[in-house]
Amino acid sequence: MELFDNLFLGLQVAVEPQNLLYCLFGVLIGTAIGVLPGIGPIPTVALLLPFTFGLEPSTAFIMLAGIFYGAQYGGSTTAILVNVPGETSSVVTCIDGHQMAKQGRAGHALALAAISSFFAGTVATVVIALLALPLAALALKFTAVEYFSLLVLGLIAAVVLAHGSVAKALAMIVLGLILGIVGIDVSSGASRMTFGIPNLADGLDFVPIAMGLFGLGEIIANLERPAERRIVAQKVGSLMPGLPDLRRAFPAMLRGTAIGSFLGVLPGGGAALPPFTAYALEKKFAKDPSRFGHGAIEGVAGPEAANNAGAQTSFIPLLTLGIPSNALMALMIGALMMHGIQPGPQIMTEQPQLVWGLIASMWTGNLMLLVINLPMIGIWISMLKIPYRLMFPAIVLFCCIGAYGISNSMFNVWLMLGCAAIGYFFIKVGVEPAPLLLGLVLGPQLEENFRRAMLLADGDVTVFVTSPISATILAVVALLLVAMFSPKVARKREEALAE
Amino acid sequence: MTTRFDLQDALFGAFLVAVAALTFYATRTLTFGSPADMGPGFMPRVLAGIAMAFGLFFVARGLSRGGEAIERPHLRPFAAVLGAIAVFALLGVKAGLAVAALAAVLVAAAGSDETRPVEAVLFAVALAVASVLLFVTALALPIPAWPW
Repeated sequence: MELFDNLFLGLQVAVEPQNLLYCLFGVLIGTAIGVLPGIGPIPTVALLLPFTFGLEPSTAFIMLAGIFYGAQYGGSTTAILVNVPGETSSVVTCIDGHQMAKQGRAGHALALAAISSFFAGTVATVVIALLALPLAALALKFTAVEYFSLLVLGLIAAVVLAHGSVAKALAMIVLGLILGIVGIDVSSGASRMTFGIPNLADGLDFVPIAMGLFGLGEIIANLERPAERRIVAQKVGSLMPGLPDLRRAFPAMLRGTAIGSFLGVLPGGGAALPPFTAYALEKKFAKDPSRFGHGAIEGVAGPEAANNAGAQTSFIPLLTLGIPSNALMALMIGALMMHGIQPGPQIMTEQPQLVWGLIASMWTGNLMLLVINLPMIGIWISMLKIPYRLMFPAIVLFCCIGAYGISNSMFNVWLMLGCAAIGYFFIKVGVEPAPLLLGLVLGPQLEENFRRAMLLADGDVTVFVTSPISATILAVVALLLVAMFSPKVARKREEALAE
Repeated sequence: MTTRFDLQDALFGAFLVAVAALTFYATRTLTFGSPADMGPGFMPRVLAGIAMAFGLFFVARGLSRGGEAIERPHLRPFAAVLGAIAVFALLGVKAGLAVAALAAVLVAAAGSDETRPVEAVLFAVALAVASVLLFVTALALPIPAWPW
């Protein structure tokens, strides 16, 4: 069986001592930033990226991925103990998780969240392995024409599931694409929009842009709001939930995993949508829905399973097609390119060690999280007591050092400064920065493939609809756009995302 | 609170228009080419055209309908965070990471009402030492650590 060969190869890579060690680093850092509200995985991955250049690509990616799913674990800890979501994905866990904590069952809630996440992570690893091969085989049939259409689908679909106005998100994609133009044009050698600045010849680095837009703009906006008082639940109580609790949680775990695995694959799905859907579903399935909101264990197990499964399966489009499903995956694409690996359908055949090592490491990483996190709960609680007045200057400093570290030049620090100001402006005018990052990272590939397709078809744009695969993809794009701008669907979407 | 104009839309639209105009200006000398043989100026101008259309649409929509008021911006956190980055960029290479880190943390800390001066200074010193140890000693980041 090819599947088992691949997973076996992956496990061999994942259990190399160095990879195990960096996986541990990744999940620990991930949990820490997940626990801390106000710092998310995007600036963290951007910050650590420059320091992974010395590592093997597979080791680097095992660590960076660990940060992402580790953050999902950490986020739920804060949600349960403080009633503040550590990450957006753990918003739902606040509802019943914190109620359980108030009833003195914080330990049970934490343990169940961890068990559900581990279970979902294990299943999601298998789902990735199963889906990866057929998708990659399909992708190998792609030429520039199909690839261009696929990139368009990736960009458009990511918008559909994002928050806020669709039109603004589309405009943000265009902004990102424009930023992607900066630098020397590969085909003609002409410098474009570099304004005579030599640092811009290689194009804009996305790391300072990501840190400025996502990390620093957010900090400025946070400082304007009055500081929130956090009350940390002191008593964690016993950790191991009893058999009746487990019996009740298990079906919820299964349903959550299924929902999360499915929604995670969709572009734009990522980690935010699955837990909301899972919670709504659990409420529908429950015999007595009134228990929800008062410490229902299914309300913790289902969404926790869903968010972890979704976080992992969102790697599928990245690993098989080279298309990011959310801003963090866009960062991962950029990271691949910085390591000299061209993302795209060929990555599975050219870098099997990297891809399967990464997939297998998700399982070892989840196991580490399960074993390590619960005994370390005391450390995470004490981290929650660090006040924001100390945390934010530290984040600013680390972002500066990280921006300098990408190419050892202060130019990127200045670039980050500009992006921080723009990020703050975006928050004030109420637009999400995520589509911009997607556009920036995918822009050069989009132009390259369009140009190549046009060259082959001799300038005939109908080539995009005469190729059956490309036509199908573009039909989906058209359908999505029409649906998004029809008032009825738009209202439904608002409701679903607002819940 | 609602306002007569949707200022959020209008401002975002104006931003798009400005970026589009800048793109048109910066790429004015690049050849456009034809779809079959695209010049380096093809993509920038197409994209700038789309951005311009979006921008004008948002400006028009913002001015034609009411909307939510924008939360009043505060100067202090904005100036402190951007100031901290600028201080780091100016001092980093010349004065070394230790000094730059210390200064950046102090400037950033000035952005919050909650900051306690003594605590902030102690914390800044600790962070400066920690960053030198972590980034220069352990991770070998090529940046001078000290002013000498």
